[in-house]
Amino acid sequence: MKVNNSNLDFDSNATDSESERAAVAPVVCLENIHKQFGSLEVLKGIDLKASAGEVISLIGSSGSGKSTLLRCANLLEVPQDGEIIFEGEPIIWSGSGFSRKPSDNDQVRKLRTNLSMVFQQFNLWAHLTILENVIEAPVTVLGRDPLQSAAFGLELLEKVGIGDKSDAYPSQLSGGQQQRAAIARALAMEPRAILFDEPTSALDPELEAEVVRVIKSLADEGRTMIIVTHDMKLAREVANQSIFLHQGLIEEQGDPEELFGNPKSERLQQFLSATASV
Amino acid sequence: MQMCVDPDGLAGLSWWLCYLTTNTHYSFYLSFGTILILIFLCAPVVMVLGFAGALSRRSRFLPLRTVGLIYTSMVRGVPDIVFFMFVPIAMDQAIEAIRHKVKCPEVTAPIFQGNDFVVCTAAKMPLSATDQWVHEIYGFFLALVAFAIVFGAFAANTLHGALAAVPKNQLETARAYGMSEKQVFWRIHLPQMWRYALPGLSNLWMILIKATPLLFLLGVEDAVYWAGALGASKTQIYDFPHGDWRIWYFSALLIFYLLLTSVSERFFKWLTLKVTREHNLNTDDLSSGVTA
Ligand SMILES: Nc1ncnc2c1ncn2[C@@H]1O[C@H](COP(=O)(O)OP(=O)(O)O)[C@@H](O)[C@H]1O
Ligand SMILES: [Mg+2]
Repeated sequence: MKVNNSNLDFDSNATDSESERAAVAPVVCLENIHKQFGSLEVLKGIDLKASAGEVISLIGSSGSGKSTLLRCANLLEVPQDGEIIFEGEPIIWSGSGFSRKPSDNDQVRKLRTNLSMVFQQFNLWAHLTILENVIEAPVTVLGRDPLQSAAFGLELLEKVGIGDKSDAYPSQLSGGQQQRAAIARALAMEPRAILFDEPTSALDPELEAEVVRVIKSLADEGRTMIIVTHDMKLAREVANQSIFLHQGLIEEQGDPEELFGNPKSERLQQFLSATASV
Repeated sequence: MQMCVDPDGLAGLSWWLCYLTTNTHYSFYLSFGTILILIFLCAPVVMVLGFAGALSRRSRFLPLRTVGLIYTSMVRGVPDIVFFMFVPIAMDQAIEAIRHKVKCPEVTAPIFQGNDFVVCTAAKMPLSATDQWVHEIYGFFLALVAFAIVFGAFAANTLHGALAAVPKNQLETARAYGMSEKQVFWRIHLPQMWRYALPGLSNLWMILIKATPLLFLLGVEDAVYWAGALGASKTQIYDFPHGDWRIWYFSALLIFYLLLTSVSERFFKWLTLKVTREHNLNTDDLSSGVTA
């Protein structure tokens, strides 16, 4: 009996310190990320830290490696070098260089279920209705109850303004509605952070506005987000921190007002004047 | 029927009644059943072999991938009819050779003597003494296997193409949301594959139906055989003498096949509609919301 008790004490201590560590550590931390496709070096040593509640906007010209960086963060791409640390827990690797890969599938799943992705082309599953899209991963991956998930899913669809579309198929929705459904799908995972890869780039201006409104409301809720975007207004207004990526390296980084209002590097100045004239 | 015992005295309706109910006519009618049994037994086996072939071609394990590739390409390079002839003979001889080794170990003479294939009596399959119907079922079984192997390879090609046609981003998104490879396959890949596979599979089903007269070539007394035998002119020494009626017998066959294919066509149309209605990518819908 006594032995059992002390065991229990030990266990609860362990979980305490673990949750403490998770609370203090940044949600996701990328250190010295290197990524190469064949001989093409796309990322040349990137550090990025997203603390809880922080919104980071990631800008840079096309081909600078923004998508690749996001894809590395949830292991859709495996970096050849560098660390990915989720809430203080580093991903464990096996092999090195091009044969490097995460060695623990459970760890990968934990990372992916906690970092929800929103894609430029929405990528809603075409054979499922909007509501089915939203509850698919919570039910199959997290093992949530389908009925409760559906109720929560409907709430989320209401929240992004398409509660009436729950039984429609993705092809029946406009691009803006599809992207809002994709955001609801991301929220349904109750993730620690959301990664957006150019969420508005495939949309007409008027449809873009409705998605931007949703993203801003998420920022107001204090959600942790990393947003890759070509929308400089969004990048400036929604973020606490902005990062300018150039040819696989962070060229400039800091407070959005400072970065957009008073760009230091010549490349960023060029980039901003080029996007402003478009 | 009692009145049919003496067919010479019959005329009109009773002649036809007796004529159309002879034992050989029953065999003719049954052969239509044989065709249906063949295609309906074949279809599930073809799908299993098709999936096995398609999935092994996608396997990461090289030997398995090679087997899948050989299986799916073999039918492309060889006329089907050669396979239909080859598979039953090869299977028959393989089975008998194995039984020969097991049942007659004392026989030392080689199985292949020149051009002859010689096994001991005990190794015959089925044994010579067994009833005729056992022989017929065995022959039908070999034919079924031949059909399944050939059409399984076609199906494997179709399914392989359909699996490859599912957009990569659909699968990648599933992975990004934490699904295991198994979950990605069952929840996303397989359900989305059907719309790409259906046209090919429906085509294959039609070809399967139209290939069933090949049963005749494999020694199964099928509808083609009976239509020819029954339709041929019968002299006075037969119970029911008549002229050359083959045109009528083959017309019946024609109508049977037309019915079968048109019903099938309707079924696949319905199925295709059902599968694609849900998630057809209507290009108008897309272009209204998306600027490329
Ligand atoms: N899977 C891949 N294989 C080969 N090259 C790739 C792959 N993905 C991206 N790239 C290349 O990496 C570079 C950066 O791409 P990406 O990260 O998509 O840039 P961005 O999102 O900033 O436009 C580009 O030159 C692109 O062609
Ligand atoms: Mg990109």
